[in-house]
Amino acid sequence: MFILPFIVVIPIWEIISQLELIAHLPPPSLIFSKFIFLAFEEGVLAQHLIGSVYRLLIGYILAVSFGIFLGTIVGLNKLISDTITPLLSLLISIPTIAWVPVLLITLGLGDETVIAAVFLGGFFAITYSVIHGIRTVNKNLINAGKIVGAGKYKLFESVLLPGSLVSLIPGLRLAIGYSWRALVGAEMLAAMVRWGVGKMIFTSRMSNVIETMFLGLLIIGIAGLLLDRLLLFIENKTVVKWGMVTEG
Amino acid sequence: MKKNQEKIKIHNIKKTFEGGNKVVALENLNININENEFAVILGPSGCGKSTLLYLLAGFEKPTSGKIYLDGKLIKKPSPNRGFVFQDFALYPWKTVLKNIAFGLELKGISKKDSANKSMDYIKMVGLEGFEHAYPHTLSGGMKQRVGIARALVYDPEVLLMDEPFGALDAQTRKQMQIELEKIWEKTKKTVVFVTHSVIEAAYLADKVFVMTARPGKVKGIVGVNLPRPRDYTDDNFLKVRGKILNLLESEVEKSMQQKQEIETT
Repeated sequence: MFILPFIVVIPIWEIISQLELIAHLPPPSLIFSKFIFLAFEEGVLAQHLIGSVYRLLIGYILAVSFGIFLGTIVGLNKLISDTITPLLSLLISIPTIAWVPVLLITLGLGDETVIAAVFLGGFFAITYSVIHGIRTVNKNLINAGKIVGAGKYKLFESVLLPGSLVSLIPGLRLAIGYSWRALVGAEMLAAMVRWGVGKMIFTSRMSNVIETMFLGLLIIGIAGLLLDRLLLFIENKTVVKWGMVTEG
Repeated sequence: MKKNQEKIKIHNIKKTFEGGNKVVALENLNININENEFAVILGPSGCGKSTLLYLLAGFEKPTSGKIYLDGKLIKKPSPNRGFVFQDFALYPWKTVLKNIAFGLELKGISKKDSANKSMDYIKMVGLEGFEHAYPHTLSGGMKQRVGIARALVYDPEVLLMDEPFGALDAQTRKQMQIELEKIWEKTKKTVVFVTHSVIEAAYLADKVFVMTARPGKVKGIVGVNLPRPRDYTDDNFLKVRGKILNLLESEVEKSMQQKQEIETT
């Protein structure tokens, strides 16, 4: 049903911009014809999208892997928790985009910087959600695993990880939003990056093509929405189906 | 049959919990449980009876003293014991079948054999047709049937049950007592069963260990030599019940006083 808001908003937007009630606001029809042009005639839109999605995937998968690893050991071990938690609190308050100038120097002007920004964008939300998830797993679920002979790895895989999904999945949803934002910002600043939705918006600033900018904004928003729906789908197929949370 | 052979030896156990204020849960606790015996640990709430069971399982370590199973020191949890939890502790993400089969699969038994054996136990606890259901769709009584099947399926030496019917309504509770008795007659496991229900103790036990209020130790032992299945209304049953109640009553009062002290301080 998430089509509904668009059916309402698009005609109103069209009228507002046709009547020039808001200066420089391009009408949806113009943005759509720009989309057709860039996607099919010039054919660059796919390249922009592929560039962004590729960086997003790598950075996000890294954030998920390290986030789950760090979150687990912090969630399980008091000493590690006491050491790491203050650091996490310190780092989480730094906006990802503020790291980008540093990354541009250390990692260069290309993909690596953008991927690192994606990683930093998502990493903290995931780590926190895993820490919380691990700590809230019912102790007796762990005991029930121990008594049937589950070792450390088996306990993690069969008990702790599924047990913390209730907390991890909302973390993943937050994180993909943060990562996506970091990606677009970093693409604008990384000079060697040629293709990417962020880059597309930034370069259209040079040529003053405002409908391309809006197209970029829309693509970012819609992609974020789709990614969130994907995670929502996963949530429904796991923790909702298992009765651990009610359907959202 | 190896009757009267010592299975579990609980020797001079002391368990304290550090925290805001130190609590001595168990002290000078000595219990011997024989092979194939249905032992019930009965006591007022807060007497440390569940703590004792967690020590037997190896989930917790005693502050001092030792617990032996078949003459071997219990150090950590292991599948020679099965545990039935008061809060069921089923895995919400596993179906009934998978919950039960988990212990078998960990033993390295093939998926197919695990599933077959688990099905046998599902039938035994009367849950046929629910093998692919997720726990949250089951009633409390059905959940605990899964809990019992899961603890028995890998054929442990000893079955540890921590107020397993405490979360059930009175009707279901009675029903489960009757069924557990039947299952036990079939398997003849050594059982350590924790409860605060006197009727439950009298119905199920070969031997009832009545605990004192905190710090918990054994106040008295009541042997129950009535034929099974027992009749809740039988005179001899009521006599046993009375005997246990007498032992317990002063301790319940003490336990209430302890609670009030905690509440007023």
